[in-house]
Amino acid sequence: MSTMDWQAFALSLRLATVTTAILLVIAVPLAALIVLGRGRWLAAVEALAALPMVLPPTVLGFFLLVLLGPRTAFGRGIAALLGHPLAFSFDGLVVGSVIYSLPFAVQPLVAGFASVDTALVDAARLLGAGPVRLVSSILIPLARRSLLAAVVLSFLHTIGEFGVVLMLGGDIPGATRTLSIVLYDQVENFDYAAAGHTALLLLGLSALALVAVYATSQKRGSARRA
Amino acid sequence: MSKQFLTALFAFLFLAPLSAQASLRVAAAADLEPLFPPILVQFEKNTGIHAEATYQSSATLTTQIENGAPFDVFLSADLSFPKRLINDGLADAAGSADSSTPITYARGTLVLWSRKDSQLPSPSLDLLRSLALKRLAIANPDRAPYGRAAVAALHSLNLYDALKPRLITAENIAQAAQFVDSANADAGLISLTSALTSRLSADGSYFVIPRDLYPPIEQGAVIVSSTRQPAAAHKLLDFLLSPAVQAELAKSGLTPVK
Repeated sequence: MSTMDWQAFALSLRLATVTTAILLVIAVPLAALIVLGRGRWLAAVEALAALPMVLPPTVLGFFLLVLLGPRTAFGRGIAALLGHPLAFSFDGLVVGSVIYSLPFAVQPLVAGFASVDTALVDAARLLGAGPVRLVSSILIPLARRSLLAAVVLSFLHTIGEFGVVLMLGGDIPGATRTLSIVLYDQVENFDYAAAGHTALLLLGLSALALVAVYATSQKRGSARRA
Repeated sequence: MSKQFLTALFAFLFLAPLSAQASLRVAAAADLEPLFPPILVQFEKNTGIHAEATYQSSATLTTQIENGAPFDVFLSADLSFPKRLINDGLADAAGSADSSTPITYARGTLVLWSRKDSQLPSPSLDLLRSLALKRLAIANPDRAPYGRAAVAALHSLNLYDALKPRLITAENIAQAAQFVDSANADAGLISLTSALTSRLSADGSYFVIPRDLYPPIEQGAVIVSSTRQPAAAHKLLDFLLSPAVQAELAKSGLTPVK
């Protein structure tokens, strides 16, 4: 095995990017609903959005394997819709990752949106702003750091995701063999030198990306303040 | 909260773990999980020694022992992992004829398994040749002994190249069985011990892969050198090799060595 599996590296990046994009589309309205909405059932929604953190990832992966498999009507429906079964495919990993990383997108957004001054929200409402306008012009600009945190956490959590991929993936090069699976294989096969190289590169690149992201967001913040 | 409650809570949180008896710790290959617990119960009845087993892939257990995991006995699913520990001076087969060779306590059997409600014909070598077989689950051949045997058998049948794009690699033999049992894979090359569990024998049927198609899956045991209970560890190995337990293994899908 080569010391660096670039195919797996690219696959992990692709999975994390797609997952993060989908999560933003789901998590921003969900967090806004939890913060702006009224009613006791919202507590249930918030709890539900946090629950994927409770299950051990391999167990979550196992449930998804069964749910998405051809033995359930749901799994057969999805397979008919897509033309192929979801297990052991890249699309299947996306579904698993979105569920698995959902709390990491929703939690920071809820915290950020909730910290926005309610007077501003009420004022905007009085001036006739609808929910879309509230979110896009008030909540998101004022909770930029939380949005950034949600993106960073979802992305990194998906890069490092292991249990769900292990269960749902089937270790297929180019389709489901992500970098964390390669790393695990290298460790389990006693190829510690290769594992060290892979891990070091992954950590180094992630650290660089994080510093870059945080540096730009800080600049913007201080420019606004000045 | 009453004082008694707090005291009880404190005792539960901090004292309970200390009260656990120093029992014999067994590192056992995952394929033993379906059959090993009753054997340990019988062992305690016969000898008064309480033993607890941890089930993992042989590779994981080997790494753990190399890094100081407090196991007394290691029951691998093959010979290469215990040999590796012997070569590193971390384990031995003391007491047997040759202390540098792991004690073979059983042989594994590879089977082709599929669900009864599968659209494909029931398991046979013809099923492996069938083009309708879209996904065949195997265990990771780099480290799982049954995965290695599966690849060897496919090579012997000259089917490996044809089936390679259709292979789904599972982390271990139990996961390979899950892939098939959940109907995500059409069939799987798994262990007879898995196929004979009540769950899988209810859901599907198996075909024993002819033994001349793959090198024997010899399962080796060693005693971890750092054990503080060598006598108890030896008793467990003797117990494993006793006729009664060997007969028990045979019922559960392992081939006795005695």
